[in-house]
Amino acid sequence: MENILQISLVLFLLILGYFFGSYREKRHFRNLQLREKQVLNMPIANIGRNLPADITETKLVVGIVVISIDYFKKISAMLRNLVGGRITVYESLLDRSRREAILRMQEEAMEWGASQVLNVRLETVAIGGRFGGKTDPGSIEVIAYGTGIK
Amino acid sequence: MSIKYVPKELPIDDNVNVTRRHPLKNFIYLLGTVVIISIIIFVLLGYTASWLATRIGADNEIRVGKLLYNTISETEVIDDRRIYYLDELLHDMLDVDEIARLPLTIHLLDTEIVNAAIMPGGHVLINTGLLQKVKSENELAFILSHELGHFQHQDPLKSLGRSLVVVSALAAVGIGTSSSSGGLSDIVSWTGELTILHYSRNQETKADEYGLARVINHYGHGGHSLDFFNGFQKFEDGERQLSQVSQYFASHPENQERIDYLNTLAVQKGWNMEGELTSLPDWIHCPDMDEEQCEAEN
Ligand SMILES: [Zn+2]
Repeated sequence: MENILQISLVLFLLILGYFFGSYREKRHFRNLQLREKQVLNMPIANIGRNLPADITETKLVVGIVVISIDYFKKISAMLRNLVGGRITVYESLLDRSRREAILRMQEEAMEWGASQVLNVRLETVAIGGRFGGKTDPGSIEVIAYGTGIK
Repeated sequence: MSIKYVPKELPIDDNVNVTRRHPLKNFIYLLGTVVIISIIIFVLLGYTASWLATRIGADNEIRVGKLLYNTISETEVIDDRRIYYLDELLHDMLDVDEIARLPLTIHLLDTEIVNAAIMPGGHVLINTGLLQKVKSENELAFILSHELGHFQHQDPLKSLGRSLVVVSALAAVGIGTSSSSGGLSDIVSWTGELTILHYSRNQETKADEYGLARVINHYGHGGHSLDFFNGFQKFEDGERQLSQVSQYFASHPENQERIDYLNTLAVQKGWNMEGELTSLPDWIHCPDMDEEQCEAEN
């Protein structure tokens, strides 16, 4: 009996994770594409030396995003751990996080009126999930920061 | 120095950072691979382990049996005439020149659950709940002989070997110890579940064959010895008490299938399946202590 309950819970979480997870992922990718077009003219670079001579003002611009792993991705990754290879379900998650974080940074820079963002850096952190319980799948955080210049 | 920046539109469907593989296909592929490999490993390891387990020797089997018996939480009824009765019946079931592999010990456990089991080292477990349900000595004799069959065929050792392999393999893979699947508590409960020995259908059939042969040998006929399974089926369907369905019956082949098979076997061997019922002692339901109370109830 207990086993049946456990199995149906896992199955339920898998289905929930798959449908909600992929719906949200698709929607997010579409949204990213739209917004990336709007900031296309905001140059970003990860060099920090030899700044242009005509800078009048600088500002630290930051973009942060935290995206949760869903249960489907987590179980897929667990299975992948057993056989080895690329965890493709996490690749899309990390890609979304990176793009979203950079976008938010660029959007902040645009609002402030920057001409470009230099010295851009990316950091990533895993939040939760490592020591969490059964149903806590954990999440990924990406921080993008750089120096906006006018 | 000035930096020239050329805005470049990102490719839509060709993202180098994301492998284009359908997540569901990926999942099914992974699940399939893992399941198939696990089955192969478990079957191979299981056979090896059960083969090895039967070779540990009598002294070690007694030691293992003692350890396993100590994990049983039900209270044991001690110094009760029912134990002597069961002991005698069990030893009567052995063939004339057949000896048990190891000395057999009857343990009468005080629980409502209808069940009987055998453990390595010759520990025969009978629940008082089973004694409440049996209607004749013939039924009881068949159940005891069935368990005796498991013991003579070294089934408890084989299952133990297999269980240990399964548990250790799961632990090695990290299922049950990693946080992702619930931690240490799982593996403990699994170990518990698996030490309750499950036998394969083949082992069951062999034990049934042995059991019926011993019953025929003892009574000269097989009449009434299989009634218990009919009775149990009714009980199970009628009351739907899932908690009462013991693992003895859960892990055993479908009752009807079992009866049919044994009846066919009896025809082949020319065994007589009709005969007199040997009744149980009146006090089979009663502990020594409350004899009067018990007789009043009956
Ligand atoms: Zn059995």
